[in-house]
Amino acid sequence: MGKINLRLTEVQNRERRLGTIIAWNGTASDLHAQSGYQRRGSGCKSNKDGCRLCEAKGPFTQGSVCSEQMVECQAGNVRDAVLIQHSPIGCGAGQVPYNSIYRNGLAMRGHKVENIRIINTNLQETDMVFGALGKLKQSIDDAWERYSPKAIFIGTSCPTGIIGEDIESVARKKQEELGIPVIPLFCEGFRSKHWSTGFDATQHGILRQIVKKSTKKQEDLVNVISLWGSDIFTPMFKEFNLRVNYVVDMASVSDLEQLSEAAATVGFCYTLSSYMAAALEQEFGVPEVKAPMPYGFAGTDAWLRELGKVTHREELVEQYIAKEHARVKPKIAELKKKLQGLKGYVATGSAYAHGLIQVLRELDIQVDGSLVFHHDPVYDSGDPREDSLGHLIENYGEVPSFNVSNRQQYQFYGLLQEVKPDFILIRHNGLAPLASKLGIPAAPLGDEHIAIGYEGIVNLGEAILDILAHKKFHDDLKKHAKLPYKQWWLEQKDPYILAKHPELIDA
Amino acid sequence: MAVTKNEHGQTNSINQVRYGCAVGALYSVVSIPGAVPIGHCGPGCMDKQYTSLAFYNGFQGSGYSGGSVSPSVNAGEKEVVFGGEKRLDELIKSTLKIIEGDLFVVLNGCIGELVGDDVGAVVSKYQKQGVPIVYAETGGFKGNNFVGHEIITTAIIDQYVDKFALNKDHREKGLINVWSELPYQNTFWRGDLSELKRILEGAGFRVNILFGGKSAGVEEWKTIPHAQFNLVVSPWLGLKTAKHLEQKYNQPYLHIPVLPIGAQQTAAFIRQVVEFAGIDPATSESFIEQEEQEYYYYLEHFNDFYSEYWWGLPATYAVVGDSTYNLALNKFLVNQLGLIPKKQIITDNAPEKYREAIAQEYQKLAHDVATTVDFVEDGYIVGKLLRETDFGHKPPIIFGTTWERDTAKALNGKIVEVGFPASYEVVLNKSYIGYRGALQLIEKIFTVAISASA
Repeated sequence: MGKINLRLTEVQNRERRLGTIIAWNGTASDLHAQSGYQRRGSGCKSNKDGCRLCEAKGPFTQGSVCSEQMVECQAGNVRDAVLIQHSPIGCGAGQVPYNSIYRNGLAMRGHKVENIRIINTNLQETDMVFGALGKLKQSIDDAWERYSPKAIFIGTSCPTGIIGEDIESVARKKQEELGIPVIPLFCEGFRSKHWSTGFDATQHGILRQIVKKSTKKQEDLVNVISLWGSDIFTPMFKEFNLRVNYVVDMASVSDLEQLSEAAATVGFCYTLSSYMAAALEQEFGVPEVKAPMPYGFAGTDAWLRELGKVTHREELVEQYIAKEHARVKPKIAELKKKLQGLKGYVATGSAYAHGLIQVLRELDIQVDGSLVFHHDPVYDSGDPREDSLGHLIENYGEVPSFNVSNRQQYQFYGLLQEVKPDFILIRHNGLAPLASKLGIPAAPLGDEHIAIGYEGIVNLGEAILDILAHKKFHDDLKKHAKLPYKQWWLEQKDPYILAKHPELIDA
Repeated sequence: MAVTKNEHGQTNSINQVRYGCAVGALYSVVSIPGAVPIGHCGPGCMDKQYTSLAFYNGFQGSGYSGGSVSPSVNAGEKEVVFGGEKRLDELIKSTLKIIEGDLFVVLNGCIGELVGDDVGAVVSKYQKQGVPIVYAETGGFKGNNFVGHEIITTAIIDQYVDKFALNKDHREKGLINVWSELPYQNTFWRGDLSELKRILEGAGFRVNILFGGKSAGVEEWKTIPHAQFNLVVSPWLGLKTAKHLEQKYNQPYLHIPVLPIGAQQTAAFIRQVVEFAGIDPATSESFIEQEEQEYYYYLEHFNDFYSEYWWGLPATYAVVGDSTYNLALNKFLVNQLGLIPKKQIITDNAPEKYREAIAQEYQKLAHDVATTVDFVEDGYIVGKLLRETDFGHKPPIIFGTTWERDTAKALNGKIVEVGFPASYEVVLNKSYIGYRGALQLIEKIFTVAISASA
């Protein structure tokens, strides 16, 4: 284990590469100890599926998210490319949310607002019997005719995976014919237990077929692996005479091509950036900035210093750190007064949650619990400086109720009862409506950049004050909303009881 | 196998989807108070239908059993290789332990159908124990959520209603089952069904509206066999269910293709239903009179604006949407507001056998207004057809979806989002049909028309 293999057409899923799990409960430090970040590779051979952590899997599950959705929200967001979904129309329903997100993202970044370019091949029952490579070819031709794209991505689906469509050979032929990259992305929902494999599938395809194998270097260019968040990096990097290359969302194909020419790659959420950043270093010699993520003072200081070291701008970085500390500290002191005595809860993607807890603790907000959608015991680089959970525990202390739950709302109820927070931070949909019915307001962090860096501490503090005011709405709703869960379940103290005692469902 | 293009250049490709898949009909289940869907699906299927149909479509919300509440097997490699029946069985068992529901509906998705899981066998075990649970074969490749909707209604009728209803031969004069808009797909279905029920009740009927907040839920479904007749208010959706009930319970049905918007259409609608039912028209006539009094009170005041506004109002329009709303809007825009139809595009993949009859309706929008309609599902073609349309000397108003925003801008026209997806509308109980809805529609149209003018 360890090396990323770009020769394979299909990305290795997270559970095999990293030992990812989607269900676990305990304390943050237990999870960290069991993950054994620095012992990666040890002991995973004995376990076929690469999972070195016990998983608290029970019989009851609620709908979660699939890898193909992450392909839509990355490959589908490349501005001058087209994504083809080789699937029945149901997968195509994803075009709707991702169009709205794309449009708002374009507006936020100052690009021309327009509809997302995703084409569904609309497979029918007969296609399941006879195959539908003819339809795939037609949709590729339609994409070419309609948009003259600089690249065409093809996302697979559960049905095409099951019937064994030879997508690769069609892609190869069309690539030759059209003279642009035609890139199959293997993202069948059933292939990985966690949807973050969809990030890796997109990045794998880009690394294999778009990134230029050039020796040219742009000394001041830094790859930022992000989604559609607001542009906070351009002004920040300007202070170091660096330019930003945002990928994958909102990028153009030429932005993706020049990934190999950058002086460094940074991420701020290792769940998202792990694969791309490690592969760029391994295969193209672009150093990855290996550091704690830029949340809170300790994280941001360390992240910036590592960026300074890698890009040889130590002095500029030190000036910036000093200047920013001085600028934000009084603001943070003010915020702390207003936020005094509050208890927060973080329910987001894995690495992102580690970062947000840091920011909350920086604001002196008590965080006794967190729910993360999955857990990667290690990231692709394997470098201990990226051990985000370890960094959180070392610098900001223990999180006593730390839970991995793949957006399972029924478990979230018990977790909230245990911690009784004043507010929650969320990113993906599904959990906030429940919290709301319990009178707990949520801050949805649609703009994933708002909590990053020094200003991020201020931003998050202010966002929390805004949503606390919403509490009146939630308290009112609480009196009138009916929960869909049975009393028996609501009375359970342990949200993971069914994983430990599955026989209870027979009672 | 080569793909053939139709007369508009449409291939198999769908850009800018305008419906979900058969599994999307899980939102028909969610819209029955007390009913809970269970997905025998991959991990993302339920979420895709949720975020599209229920979230970025008027932000209608997950309600009691949608969104992240809905149980799902989240099929993985194991279920694909070894089959998912065992997994479904433990999911159903645990759902019954955890979720409070009056009726559970298992929806089989692509994976279960392709690997050949016998969902019926798993579910029938529970049915034999008297558990209120049904199953439906709704693999996504079987069709869209319109198709899925009637697979679901039929499944509930055959496997639940038929089993639990009392006195199935008993009929109550004046009780109607209503089959009309597709819940959630139609962004305004909640307000619309509520208005439809109000109108029919005002006319003297008792109404099984079956979906939404005004439905008595699963208990109401059990009285479906008691209705005097089934009322289908849409060009085609619901006909399959009504015909099924006709066969099953010898229940007649009345098919009215035009969902009524405005006083003229609504009065005609009421009179047609009353005549079919053979009930005394005294109640309905006095209701019509009373409603018209209120309706024209507002229209009379609106008249100042409509006849005297200086800065220009749109004269021509296009409607892009499902059969039901498309036809209903056309009737209203022509007959009530006197607007000029330029391009009408139906996007719900209406079954071939109904298309001729639907097109005929557009030939008689008014005694002196006829137009044509195109059946297109691919959004790229929709945009192309709109841009190629000659809208005359000033920009049109487009009744469409979020997908039409760019086209409306390119035409320098206005957009009113009236269908899936309406991602820039927040919709609670707003309705665009009947008496009250028509007034809201007028408000919306002309607010949009003038708000950007200065």
